[in-house]
Amino acid sequence: MKGTNIILCGIGGEGLVMLSNVIGEACRLAGKNVISGEMHGLAQRSGSVIVHMRIGEEVLSPLIPPGEADMIVALEAMEALRYLYYLKPGGVVLTNKRLVHPPGETHDLVTKKIDKYVEYDEVVEAIKEAGVELQEVNALSLAKKAGEVRAQNVVMVGALCSALEGVIPRDSIIQAVKGTVPEKAVENNVEAFELGVDAYRD
Amino acid sequence: MSFKDVIDEEEREAYMLCNEAIVRAALEADVQLVSFYPGAPQTEILDNFERASNKYDLRIEVAANEKVALETVAGGAMLGKRSLTSMKSVGTNVASDALYTLAYTGLDGGCLCLIADDPHAHSSQSEQDGRWFGLTAYLPMLEPSTPREAMEMVKKGFELSEEFGTLVLIRTTTRVNHQSGIVPLGPMDRTPFEKVSWKDMKRPYTSVGELARKGKKEMLERMEKIREKMADSSLNRMEYFDGKKLMDEGGSEEEVGVITAGVAHSYTVEALSRLELSAKILKLGVINPMPEELIRKFCEGLDKVVVVEELSPYIEDVVRRLVEDVDVYGKRTGHLSEALEYDIPSVIQGLSEITGVEAPFDYKEHCRKMKKYAEILPQRLPVFCAGCPHRATFWALRRAVGDPDKVFFANDIGCYSMMCLPPIQWSDTLLCMGASMGVAAGVQYAAEEKTIAVIGDSTLFHAGLPGVVNLVHNEDDVTIFVLDNAVTAMTGQQSHPGNPKKAGGREGKKVEIRPVLEGIGVEKIYDISSYEVKDNVDIIKEALAHQGVSAVISHGECALYHFRNYRHAGGELVPYFIDLNKCESVHACVLNFMCPAISVMPEEDGKARIHQDICVGCGVCSKLCPKGAIKSTATMYGGDDKPVLTVEDHEEYQEKKEAEK
Ligand SMILES: Cc1ncc(C[n+]2csc(CCOP(=O)(O)OP(=O)(O)O)c2C)c(N)n1
Repeated sequence: MKGTNIILCGIGGEGLVMLSNVIGEACRLAGKNVISGEMHGLAQRSGSVIVHMRIGEEVLSPLIPPGEADMIVALEAMEALRYLYYLKPGGVVLTNKRLVHPPGETHDLVTKKIDKYVEYDEVVEAIKEAGVELQEVNALSLAKKAGEVRAQNVVMVGALCSALEGVIPRDSIIQAVKGTVPEKAVENNVEAFELGVDAYRD
Repeated sequence: MSFKDVIDEEEREAYMLCNEAIVRAALEADVQLVSFYPGAPQTEILDNFERASNKYDLRIEVAANEKVALETVAGGAMLGKRSLTSMKSVGTNVASDALYTLAYTGLDGGCLCLIADDPHAHSSQSEQDGRWFGLTAYLPMLEPSTPREAMEMVKKGFELSEEFGTLVLIRTTTRVNHQSGIVPLGPMDRTPFEKVSWKDMKRPYTSVGELARKGKKEMLERMEKIREKMADSSLNRMEYFDGKKLMDEGGSEEEVGVITAGVAHSYTVEALSRLELSAKILKLGVINPMPEELIRKFCEGLDKVVVVEELSPYIEDVVRRLVEDVDVYGKRTGHLSEALEYDIPSVIQGLSEITGVEAPFDYKEHCRKMKKYAEILPQRLPVFCAGCPHRATFWALRRAVGDPDKVFFANDIGCYSMMCLPPIQWSDTLLCMGASMGVAAGVQYAAEEKTIAVIGDSTLFHAGLPGVVNLVHNEDDVTIFVLDNAVTAMTGQQSHPGNPKKAGGREGKKVEIRPVLEGIGVEKIYDISSYEVKDNVDIIKEALAHQGVSAVISHGECALYHFRNYRHAGGELVPYFIDLNKCESVHACVLNFMCPAISVMPEEDGKARIHQDICVGCGVCSKLCPKGAIKSTATMYGGDDKPVLTVEDHEEYQEKKEAEK
């Protein structure tokens, strides 16, 4: 009844819902059952956003219980750490190599409530300390390489595709990407996808 | 997967958000008239209908509020048109005056009202339980658990409504509305919208005194008939979980019985599977009138029945009333909570305590352990977007007020509500839409401090105007701030009466705020441009000094809305940057400003930086900088040091850029 469980997380306004739509559509194309639960609303304004995705015949709940996600895919590293409690022991964290400081953190720094920003390395260290498998992808540079800076989420879809080999066929994901992105951006997005696939393999 | 599927005429399966599926089902059911006021978690229903209205012949309104929306669709139903509205939990409070009386009058056409509750108050001011509306208003109510069920219930709801001549309610919760899954797309048999003769269908929809007493009798009889009809409805179903798999029937009397509805059904089944516990399940889809006979039959012979439902013990208390000789467990026994939403672990905990079967995994301990690693993280709360006019207005307001303790600040509901969150945390009240006006009236009698009340444009039209009328009539002493950002920003920038566009992007008539306030008799009205922060401080001071009702209308379009339109019209964003030679790290651009485009570089020089990919170029931060260190990047290419905000600004900048080359 548990299926394959993936937590997608990031920052409001960065295309997380699009990412989940691609996975969901790919599952449909591949004839797999899929459910997702997403949080809209207040989370949109640069807040923290999370989507629960569950793939499998018998899954019912739109929420993954803590400790049961097979994988966390994060568009920003702090968010991976924030939702780490969803991951099962020994699960995989796939994160974009990127840190975005919330404005509140900057405010705290300037008003001396804290004496420094949290750094990327600290975040990554904390994730590793928790005893999970960590995979980092520099989605921005790969998206740029693909000629579409906005395709960071599609790079992550590619990486996720590698990670999910055997769960969703690659063809279905590519088809879903093509059907989701604007027509004129299809080529660059497919390229971004391929770069993501390779990044995970390496 | 997206709007494309909502209007796809091919009959196939699609991956859809429940709110999209609801729209699809209503379109398939040939809905003709819809009206909504936005509000989470049901706003995507409006958004998708707006887009669908460009393809299908239907009438759609973004109403001024939920009451108007319900009355509008009721009007359509009086003429036999299938019609639908949906509203968030608290929206039903606004609509309920009409709702209760419509139950008395009945409605001849198919009419649905969807009530979307928000357990956990994810994006609402309360965890209100909308199921009581069905019970207390004597209206049938259906509750789906999944997108697929929601589609079925929308279609059955229309049939039920037409068969019995009554408004039908559908109740959802956030985790249902925002759940996506695979749904079947059926045929789109739509008919064109045509006017009909009122004369031919005429009958009174009036309720008062003698008529109300008659209406009540009919309403009670109608509910009795619906109870009979729905007694064996397939929307209620018995299931059996054998410890591993869910099946249609089975089980013996020794087992536990679980009665559940809505998304709690999914948590229940998955909790049972993790506990490897077998149970008989009664899943209710019709939650008013409750299938009493079915509940009795289900409980027959069982020793233990657990009721798993979020929020109040609505079903549980009915079960307690109906059955004897059965131990009923749930909220009344303290095993399940009346607060917050449920999930698999919370249901496991309840079932485990009730049955004595040990939970296979210590979720709490796991969370405690894992959350420790995340303690180094700062919170990531929602903030005003880059370029948000509210940020600018509040900066000026704060300067004009000086010490926040010098005023009573009645806030209202909209993006500006975020002022109450850390680190700024400036708001004395935040209740419900329009409440700032009424609260201010009472406060100004009693508080020594000056009373100020903030309200957004959408909220002003929604429920604020009676409050303004009241302030003026009573000659109260309050300064009102109307934040005119042209849209209902919080819910996704829908139009409202103060926007020149109506539903579906069609031309409408813009209702101007100033003449409305003038007409009501507000004594002093100041129009300010939100981004002109420095100039606005003195104007606001003047407004605050006025004895009586004064209003400051701050004009500035929602940045998401404005810059989206700007880009569609061919404009390009021209961000600002920090001149590091001039920056002296006074951080005026950070303090009480909190723009997501600005951070500092402590490891280098402690100076601020503007992220070029986030900045939209509103230029407000440059006005705050006492050192003149923030400039438009236009200056690097021969442009002027001023914000590029309109297509005209952009053209002018392009010309200068060309000339420079
Ligand atoms: C009765 C009711 N209906 C709907 C909502 C959902 N809602 C929250 S804020 C908001 C509107 C805000 O619009 P406006 O006042 O113009 O402020 P803005 O977000 O544009 O700044 C709405 C509709 C609500 N909270 N209560």
